[in-house]
Amino acid sequence: MSWFLSWISGAILYAAPILFPTLGEVMEQRTGMVNLGLEGLMLLGASVSFAVSYLTNNAWLGVLAAAGVGLLANMVYAWLVVKRNAHQLATGLALMFFGIGISALIGKPYVGQMAPTLPKYAVLGPTSLIFRYDLLVYLAFFLVPVVWFLLFRTRFGLRLRAVGESPAIAYAAGVSPEFMRFFVAALAGVLAAVGGAHLAVGITGTWSEGMTAGRGFIAVALVIFSRWNPLRAVLGALVFGGAVVLQLQLQARGIGVSAFILDMIPYVLTLLVLLIWGRGVRYVAPASLGRVYFGTERG
Amino acid sequence: MKRVVTVLAALLVGGIVLAGEPCLTVGMIIGGPKDDAGYNQAQYEALMTLKEKMPCVEILFAENVPEGEAEAVLESMIQQGAKLLFPAGFGYMFPALNLAKRYPDVIFMHPGGYMLADNFGTYFSNVQFAYYLLGVAAGLMTKTGKIGFIGGMPIAFVLGNCNAFHLGARAVNPNVTTYFVVTGAWVDRAKEVAATQALLQQGCDVIGSHLDSPIAVAQTVEAAGAFFVGYPSLAVQKFCPNAWVTGLGLTWGDFFADIAQQVLDGTWKPAHIRKGVEAGFITLGEFGPRVPEEVKKIVLEYKEKLISGELQPFAGPIRDQEGNIRIKEGEVWGPMDMGKFDWLVEGIVGSPK
Repeated sequence: MSWFLSWISGAILYAAPILFPTLGEVMEQRTGMVNLGLEGLMLLGASVSFAVSYLTNNAWLGVLAAAGVGLLANMVYAWLVVKRNAHQLATGLALMFFGIGISALIGKPYVGQMAPTLPKYAVLGPTSLIFRYDLLVYLAFFLVPVVWFLLFRTRFGLRLRAVGESPAIAYAAGVSPEFMRFFVAALAGVLAAVGGAHLAVGITGTWSEGMTAGRGFIAVALVIFSRWNPLRAVLGALVFGGAVVLQLQLQARGIGVSAFILDMIPYVLTLLVLLIWGRGVRYVAPASLGRVYFGTERG
Repeated sequence: MKRVVTVLAALLVGGIVLAGEPCLTVGMIIGGPKDDAGYNQAQYEALMTLKEKMPCVEILFAENVPEGEAEAVLESMIQQGAKLLFPAGFGYMFPALNLAKRYPDVIFMHPGGYMLADNFGTYFSNVQFAYYLLGVAAGLMTKTGKIGFIGGMPIAFVLGNCNAFHLGARAVNPNVTTYFVVTGAWVDRAKEVAATQALLQQGCDVIGSHLDSPIAVAQTVEAAGAFFVGYPSLAVQKFCPNAWVTGLGLTWGDFFADIAQQVLDGTWKPAHIRKGVEAGFITLGEFGPRVPEEVKKIVLEYKEKLISGELQPFAGPIRDQEGNIRIKEGEVWGPMDMGKFDWLVEGIVGSPK
């Protein structure tokens, strides 16, 4: 039983940094934008948060700075995609490589340095090793119903989704697709960067080059897995977090499982979802996803 | 414009002449950052010690070099006049060997490699033998009787370190169980933290590791109030001031200077050079504030026995996890046998695959 509890505890912790970018990507794709740059945004958030935490001695300032930088960086993506009609996949990949490079540059002086980390609060009393999280973990799970409510229970969410289905019709109904996409990109930039920051100043307390180790891509996979629904995305994130922890815990108990096989779980799940719900996925995917919207003639 | 260029060129040449010809140009590439408080820092610090001891040497250095680009970077160093190269990452062995064939007058020294050529030698510390000392310390410090070991990849040298850690602990505390976990990467900080937490939750109260840089492990152990033994650089101590028991640092500075001198004198010969604590190739660190005097004394006694050769960590009979005898009675494994481990010693929980 204690084994099960420590597994769940670990799954929740490692779900959090991936939940942030996933929620952002769900919203972005709901407005018709595929953003493959999440990995770059996360790395940017991780390096900036660690650098600022080191310089100011305050981990929360680090998270705040990461959020700001993530917002700005994703604005570049949104501007290219929305204003310059650039190809979304190409732009996203460019953003990713930009993020990998610039984060290495920003993080360079802070390799092998110590910086303050976010304080942890235990659910089960102060001495417990399990269920002991920083506030970002609680925030990640709190944001799930919030994003769901925003998307599916508010007028704003309806407009947002309308842009994703058909920007032209949304425009005719008085919604500005451009504004919606910029707004959502800003949110997604903040979320992805905070996810990266959580890895740096929340979980590990270090910066190392490429430390997100593909989590940005797992987030993109989880969006498809969740079929663009934040509630199902939680499940995916927990499965991913659980797989990471389970593999290590099994080893610590003398049960050998290949680390490489368990690392594939999120992708295998996504493939299975596509395989089983293939038609359904096409049906629920936002209709304008990935398409360039050239604007509607204004009268 | 032309005149400006001429003047600049003259200044440049003048600058070089004023600085004097270097007696030898030495190049090094490493796979990670030079201040990782780990393996790469150990290599870099050795290079800096060489420079300190031989100020006439010119240093060429590049960090974060991917294996695919190693050959090009090393070749550019040769074109800048390097006569001694340290391709200081295990994965650089074949790129460096290729170059060694094309540049017979340049000498290569590779860490941990198993190939030799006329101008290609290898070096490494007898880490496994020294790791036995960390095991002794862990066996004396543990209260739960459970100690943990985190490896990057399940390769022979990692398994050997875990085996030595366990054998050392068992020597002073026959009830110790060692828990072995592999992360699947030399650097993956998030997984290293998860692995540490898994071991701590399992009840392990002393943690050792074989990773590029155990910074994240050290900090996690520190936060949990348990104990930590460091490797491969002593620089990691500052991340866990209270958890620190002791550690091992790879210290090759004096050796690098010797090699450079041999290259200058023309006496260098290709060889597999493997030395340990006795030759200063690996150094036992200072003890942490929570380590009792008695523990320090016993660990240092074992260190003396290791140096004198009285202690042979891998002397048979040694059994594996299934109870099969792997090192027979009377058989002793030496430094060049360390690549043979594909098994874990009896009493270790975990998989060697």
